[in-house]
Amino acid sequence: MSCNRPSEEPNPLEEESDGLFYQPDNFPSASYDFKNNPVTIQGFELGRKLFYDGRISRDGTISCAECHSQSYAFTHHGHTLSHGIDDRVGKRNAPSIQNTAFMKSFFWDGGVFDLDFLSVAPITNPLEMDEEVGNVLKKLKSTAGYPELFEKAYGGSEITTERFLKALSQFMNSLVSANSKYDKYVRKEKGGGFTPQEIAGLSTFKSKCASCHATDLFTDGSYRNNGLAIYERDLDVGRYLITENENDKYKFKVPSLRNMEYTSPYMHDGRFINLTMVLEHYANGVEDSKTLDSELKKDSKLGISLSEEEKLNIKAFLKTLSDPTFISQAAYAAP
Amino acid sequence: MKTAYSFFIGLFGLTILVASCDKMEVENPNATNDVVIEFDNRIGSADLVLGTSVLTNSSREKYTVSTLNYFISNLKLITEMGDMVSFPDQYFLVKESDSGSQMIELKNVPTGNYQHLSFYIGVDSLRSIADAGLRTGVLDIASYGSDNMYWSWNMGYIFFKIEGNSPVIDIKGIDKFEFHIGGFGGKEGPTPNNIKNVGLNLPEMTKVSESTSPTVHIIFDVNKVMDGSSTIKLATSPIIHSPMVGKTISANYSKGFIVDHVH
Repeated sequence: MSCNRPSEEPNPLEEESDGLFYQPDNFPSASYDFKNNPVTIQGFELGRKLFYDGRISRDGTISCAECHSQSYAFTHHGHTLSHGIDDRVGKRNAPSIQNTAFMKSFFWDGGVFDLDFLSVAPITNPLEMDEEVGNVLKKLKSTAGYPELFEKAYGGSEITTERFLKALSQFMNSLVSANSKYDKYVRKEKGGGFTPQEIAGLSTFKSKCASCHATDLFTDGSYRNNGLAIYERDLDVGRYLITENENDKYKFKVPSLRNMEYTSPYMHDGRFINLTMVLEHYANGVEDSKTLDSELKKDSKLGISLSEEEKLNIKAFLKTLSDPTFISQAAYAAP
Repeated sequence: MKTAYSFFIGLFGLTILVASCDKMEVENPNATNDVVIEFDNRIGSADLVLGTSVLTNSSREKYTVSTLNYFISNLKLITEMGDMVSFPDQYFLVKESDSGSQMIELKNVPTGNYQHLSFYIGVDSLRSIADAGLRTGVLDIASYGSDNMYWSWNMGYIFFKIEGNSPVIDIKGIDKFEFHIGGFGGKEGPTPNNIKNVGLNLPEMTKVSESTSPTVHIIFDVNKVMDGSSTIKLATSPIIHSPMVGKTISANYSKGFIVDHVH
């Protein structure tokens, strides 16, 4: 399960890192069921081509990469809310695509619990790609090159929903980011030397942040209300949209903090443009409500007590989660 | 007394002998045959014509229906002996716009006298969370075109869809109503569940044999969508997509199916 690359196949990408999925030693085990969709170089390459192809959208203008750009750890740089077709504005901030194989659910409200079906949401959303999956398959069937790529990936040129969606999953599952300075530090590899400030930041992080941003994925995958001010005008009830349970109102999935240096702005609606604002929120901005997370109202005080020094240390530590090889990996770029 | 007793035994035995002789000569008891379940959407007893038939609900709101689709799955037949024949892995999408879709064919049904039929309106939770490879045929999300039966944002199938128009509705000049009912109960944690199991007695014993392939004619009364255990007013609830709100509608329509006759 840890590694699904075919061993005999000659691999054109082998010279650097080949870019395909692998299980980093310091990560929890993958939750994606690779049994039904093992990653192969041919499937990955098909998924990569699809990821960068605007044909997936109604008018051919919007590819997945539009809102998930590699240079910004597969987010929509500088956009609080993501922009889609006809310059329509989406309802939430585009989440980073990284380490998907280790996640149990997707989107800020967890409305999709199977990576293979993730892509259907942006494809059919009228504010994003505004297309039908059936039409996408039709377009691919009549586009030179695609039947051959499906043949290579699956041993048959038939273009089915399953094959289309699983090729995209193969690409996304291969977007493993586990080469940050922090990873080298915990794996005791070369280049993993922490400064005293980074060590202090890690220590504060562990005691004050890691209950939610847990494990080396830096998320526990849960849904929580982190005390953001509720904007009545653009009301977003978060996880409640899926469960319709009052206890889930204003809860959003805890995001991973990996590569956060590249992924601003932050929060489900991109309301904070930098890390200073995020830390200020947790220190002084948390608002109380019925569903506010209990971690944020300990000792009858709202938020997380953070001294100025602790904030600086945490900032220094969080920068060690940046993975420059992830955003520059040639295998993840447009083919 | 003893004489009478023997007489009855004798008569009974003779009857069995006659019956079994009759069967053995004509029919193979191990034979199977098809059973067709016909879903006939009606307004009371009148035929439903999309876009034309005018319905009136108990709130005296007039409306027409432009789309009526629902998934049928997990069909089961039970014999008079209590033996159950089930049809897992068979999913059907009944569409009023497609008469072929209204005749569900169950293959290889064993010989027997069937007295009960049950089915789900919707797609069971197991298949609702299944791998993409198991979602073919009517479960292929690419197969719906503009008549979508799948929610991408709250992953799952739309079990029951009715759309139409009513003069009592005016949403920015549009008179359309839409009830999309889904929700299989959730994978990560509980979410609203609108899978409905409908159980119907077959009025006359429905015989399946080598030579008999019955058609069970089921009528769905479209009136029941808005008027059942709850009353839905189009003027106040023209758009229903929420699975929680949809619970009242699924409770209503699940009581709208009757077996009209078997032929």
